[in-house]
Amino acid sequence: MSKIVVLGAGISGHVAASHLRRKLSKEHEVLVVSPNSNYQWIPSNIWVGVGRMPYKKILFPLEPLYIRKGIGFKQAMVKTFHPEGDEKEARPYVTIEYVDANKKGQQEKVTYNYLINATGPKLNFEATEGLVPGTNKTYSVCTYTHADHAWQALSALINDMKQGKKAKILIGTGHAKATCQGAAFEYILNVEHELRRNKVRDMADITWISNEFELGDFGMDGMLLSYGSLTMKSKEMVEMIFEDRDIKWILGAGVHKIEDGMAHYENLEGETKTVTYDFAMLIPSFSGHGFKAFNKHHEDITDKLFKGFMIVDANYTPKPYEEWSVQDWPETYQNPSYKNIFAPGIAFAPPHSISKPRKSKNGTEIFPSPPRTGMPSGITAKLVADNIIDSIKTGRESLAHKGSMGNMGAACIASAGFGLTQGSGISITTYPIVPDYNKYPKTQGRQLGKTFGEIGLAGHWLKLALHYAFIYKAKMNPFWWLIPE
Amino acid sequence: MIQRISTYQRFKMMNPIIQFFRFIYLSLKVLTIVAGGHGGTRKVHQDSHK
Ligand SMILES: Cc1cc2nc3c(=O)[nH]c(=O)nc-3n(C[C@H](O)[C@H](O)[C@H](O)COP(=O)(O)OP(=O)(O)OC[C@H]3O[C@@H](n4cnc5c(N)ncnc54)[C@H](O)[C@@H]3O)c2cc1C
Repeated sequence: MSKIVVLGAGISGHVAASHLRRKLSKEHEVLVVSPNSNYQWIPSNIWVGVGRMPYKKILFPLEPLYIRKGIGFKQAMVKTFHPEGDEKEARPYVTIEYVDANKKGQQEKVTYNYLINATGPKLNFEATEGLVPGTNKTYSVCTYTHADHAWQALSALINDMKQGKKAKILIGTGHAKATCQGAAFEYILNVEHELRRNKVRDMADITWISNEFELGDFGMDGMLLSYGSLTMKSKEMVEMIFEDRDIKWILGAGVHKIEDGMAHYENLEGETKTVTYDFAMLIPSFSGHGFKAFNKHHEDITDKLFKGFMIVDANYTPKPYEEWSVQDWPETYQNPSYKNIFAPGIAFAPPHSISKPRKSKNGTEIFPSPPRTGMPSGITAKLVADNIIDSIKTGRESLAHKGSMGNMGAACIASAGFGLTQGSGISITTYPIVPDYNKYPKTQGRQLGKTFGEIGLAGHWLKLALHYAFIYKAKMNPFWWLIPE
Repeated sequence: MIQRISTYQRFKMMNPIIQFFRFIYLSLKVLTIVAGGHGGTRKVHQDSHK
């Protein structure tokens, strides 16, 4: 009998747990440890943040589902990792601390045969002075509570605009090395759409602020994509959309300090500037959770497991951008020191960014960190689960399932406005996610055709269809596994 | 504001009948790209890029 412990019940943790449970017989235990009692479909937070979807529609409680499916659940946070056990406990374990009302604060050792760390990112608001959601007129849409809060503030501002107030809206990244530009991009277009719907568009100045060097970088070094019969750069596509919607932009901006209605940033020229606003949604930097790890003698071995995020089978040798290779990216998400530990989704430490690193004239690094969107998070979680399943069934380590972000496609269906007949979406797919400049030397590392963009109402329908499909899948309703990650 | 998307383009982008067919096309396209498989990279070639 094996015990598989999954840390985190976000996209990757939940995908891993559900596949493990479906494919492993009941003699094997699958246990999920996560602090949030609910599963949330994060991509739909964008619509919560513009008041077009109540937050209750994007979540459901995990425990009843897990009880029904035979998956163990502890509403707790992992604190420390002990991959060799200790003097008293021969088996590897993690310590957890409960957060649910009944057991709040209680600590426990949870042993495992296999460990999947799917704890995603820490939303590191503290890395930017004054960036606290709900203060200084800045908001976030990274969780459903943040998004709901953002909508309350935005709707109050819309009411003020209806009374004649002119407003400045600032949306983008709130740190020099933030990622998730795609989410901010969706949000700015949705906010613009809602202002038009509320007939107050002319009362607002909307500005995109980002650590990207060019529009459309998205932390992926930009893309050359097929757009209808044309071949276009993502920069040109986003520029077309922003100009068409009268959205201004500030690029190469490392926001470092927020005060009431003021964002202070340094640009690549090394200048320090300030932009004012009445409402801002700024994505914070994402970091590891700061977990500690110990060996069986209780000596600190954090360096063997973590490099901010968790160390996996990537090539972490520091090298210049020109020498980066698609082979640097991990394939199995297995920790090299402890082969029964895996980290899919955002929890793994990337070897380097995907966008070209850039420094300001003062030496401040200003460029996006690499994104890991929902699709690769799900795919990597499933392949980790499949390797564990094979290893358990065959009785020896099996790593047959591989999925490098350099050999994997992703779709980003960015909402550009909600509405069954008036909505819009920007559908972008990329193949591969990490550009492979050897395979596709003439098309900026990606395959044209499989890397394409399209704008229109169909994109909104598709995003809505994905919302329902993925919640259906996450609820493990009949034949859920037929829906791909 | 610069009108970068022409009235005709916008009509095509928002026409429900045209967009219904685009929806089917996009769904299939996304499905083939995403479900089209994934794998490793290391055995194929080992050179660095650019
Ligand atoms: C606003 C927004 C919109 C987005 N839109 C899209 C989109 O349209 N398409 C797309 O593909 N991607 C989108 N993304 C990205 C997508 O949400 C992420 O890629 C995905 O959520 C990553 O999954 P994950 O499981 O690795 O991490 P998460 O989803 O962050 O899950 C981490 C889990 O770990 C838990 N956890 C945290 N700390 C601990 C701890 N100490 N112990 C145990 N558990 C812990 C958390 O509670 C959570 O359950 C969006 C992201 C945001 C913020």
